[in-house]
Amino acid sequence: MNREKVVFSFFMILALTLNFGFFTGDVANPDHHNVYELYAVIVVNLIATILKFGDRSQMGAMLLATSLVAVVQLISASIVWAYAVHVSQVGLSPAVMSTIVSLSGGAMLANIISVILLMIETTMMRH
Amino acid sequence: MSIVTSLILRQMRAPFITLIIGYSIAVLGLVLTPGVDDQGNVWYMSIFDAFYFVSYTATTIGFGEIPYPLSNAQRMWALITIYTTVTSWFYALGKTITLVQDPMFREALKKNTFAKDIKKLNDKFILICGYGETGTALAHALTERQIQPVIVELNSEKIKALPLASFPMFVPGIQGDARDPELLRLAGLQHKRCAAVIAVTASDETNLKIALAAKLLNPKLCVASRAEHEEYEENMFSFGTDYVVNPYESFANIFSMALHSPSLYLLYDWLTGVPNTRLSNPIYVKEGHWIICGYGRFGQDLHKHLAKHNIPVTAIDPSLEMREEFTSKYDNKNNDFILGTGFDAHTLTLAGVEKAAGLISGTDNDSNNLSIIMTAREINRDLFIVARQNRQSNERLFKATKANILMQPSEIIARKIRTLLTAPLMIAFLNKARTQDPEWANVAISRMSGVIGDNRPNIWTINVTDTEARALHKVLTLGRSIRLGNLFQDPRLRDRKLQCVALMLKRSNRLLLMPTDDIVIKPGDQLLYCGTPVAERSMKWTINDIHSLNYIMTFEASPDSFIWRKIYMVMKRKERRNRPRNKLYIDSESNDQDA
Repeated sequence: MNREKVVFSFFMILALTLNFGFFTGDVANPDHHNVYELYAVIVVNLIATILKFGDRSQMGAMLLATSLVAVVQLISASIVWAYAVHVSQVGLSPAVMSTIVSLSGGAMLANIISVILLMIETTMMRH
Repeated sequence: MSIVTSLILRQMRAPFITLIIGYSIAVLGLVLTPGVDDQGNVWYMSIFDAFYFVSYTATTIGFGEIPYPLSNAQRMWALITIYTTVTSWFYALGKTITLVQDPMFREALKKNTFAKDIKKLNDKFILICGYGETGTALAHALTERQIQPVIVELNSEKIKALPLASFPMFVPGIQGDARDPELLRLAGLQHKRCAAVIAVTASDETNLKIALAAKLLNPKLCVASRAEHEEYEENMFSFGTDYVVNPYESFANIFSMALHSPSLYLLYDWLTGVPNTRLSNPIYVKEGHWIICGYGRFGQDLHKHLAKHNIPVTAIDPSLEMREEFTSKYDNKNNDFILGTGFDAHTLTLAGVEKAAGLISGTDNDSNNLSIIMTAREINRDLFIVARQNRQSNERLFKATKANILMQPSEIIARKIRTLLTAPLMIAFLNKARTQDPEWANVAISRMSGVIGDNRPNIWTINVTDTEARALHKVLTLGRSIRLGNLFQDPRLRDRKLQCVALMLKRSNRLLLMPTDDIVIKPGDQLLYCGTPVAERSMKWTINDIHSLNYIMTFEASPDSFIWRKIYMVMKRKERRNRPRNKLYIDSESNDQDA
């Protein structure tokens, strides 16, 4: 068993599961989407991205790309959230909430691709 | 991804993760800790507020307690925040600084910049392996002709000194063992603009490996290599190395030329030396017997040529083996062998230095050679001296001896390779010149010295092709006849002659030495010229610029733009109607097509 692989896979799958947790529920309803969950998704995604740094293989490059996509999407979601609540004072209106959730949905897609790539890499390894 | 970014990212993983974890815990703690707002209500920071607070605290900017003064609970957590996040920042910064100072990282960075420089090269370039005396001379010669060199050298000091050398262009160089094919690849061995590889390191074995790698990895490349030993020379030729230069063999040939025809030697020296240096003086070899001090490989090679001209020789060498070698080959009364060192007056007198015509100081020790020359000169002032210089650092001393012919291995190799690269026709010219009688060389010398002045001439080749002589080729294909002499006219003032001499004309496989002015040029001809730098520039201008060519051919200046061309044609037509056909203007048909 490779400890590096365990940590790596753990963060990638955790990023996906947390992302899913935040994404599920009514798109426009703020009660269905917890701010702490978004916070956790961002942190875990950032860590997963950095773990992929410096891998020169083709697979490594693909994994890094998907993670960067997820991070960009999630950070945009958090910026929308912070702007709506603190700057424009609109609050979490249905329009704002659905923007945030759909952005996180995009991030989830990237995370799914990440996990699929991880699975492909694992099956390709014979030992 | 380049190796450098990859190296940075890999090294920065741990600090980045520490930072993210530190931040996330700090933010979470702040969000969960109750505070009090300005109305005394219980108040929790939002994630936004907390992230803002942590951001300015962790980077030690410290804006204060925003938006409300912190409660004690919040202050407690802020303390933890400060100590964890500030430390992780220091850790990240420290790690970055260590990384930048890491020798391995610097090495990678240097290689990366070098590889980028090579990739960016758009013109043809020549890879020089070995930046010693030969390599330096070649790099200077190439840059002067606007050909890009790239340098690989084992000694890091020499590479560090590279930017200080005053080249007229940027010369990329890398430190490393040229025997490593990966390094050669990095230096552009497989680059599509790489035109040639020159292996001039001090070791024959390294040169062999470079030539091998070049021929295997890029068979189309022209490879020139230095080889001092015959077995390496043969080995290099066996797999198709284009040029192998053996300094001893080359020098023996040059020496033979000097014996056979001093004017030819002078011609060789003028035409293959560094352009724009002072012309050397003619040499006079007297009839008489010669003394060879040091009967090693060098001495033996020269002896062979002396024997060919039936010149009596006395050899001096301290080794018994050499004596056997000598007596087994030459045991007639003309040749004599003396066991001894040669730098003492006694041995030299015994060898008959008083009456000798020439002396070769050819040991592999510079001090001995210098000593031999000094001693011999004291006994016989008029001795013709051939000196072998082994180390470049002794150049000043050898110059001071005023030896008639000085043999420097690095200089000979540089001369030969420079000629090969910049004027390949010159080799054919010199070979052909060798077959002429000595009188021919005298005529050539006097013709040249009348034109080129006091300095060694520039050598240039004109290929009458569409790409290299655009105007000339176009005009010739239109059927106009241009003679060799026409090209000698100055495109600024056609009555003035350019200061240059046509050395050779190559038409398909025929070589014509010193072609006369009345020869008509044909497309596909190759012409070899020598002359002043100004003459070279002017001639290249003439053959590429249709207006200059028209001017020297005494045709009228033709207009370039569309409108003027139309007006000009109308005017021409009118003019022709008014004047009777003149035999002199027999080519005016093609002139119209041209215009």
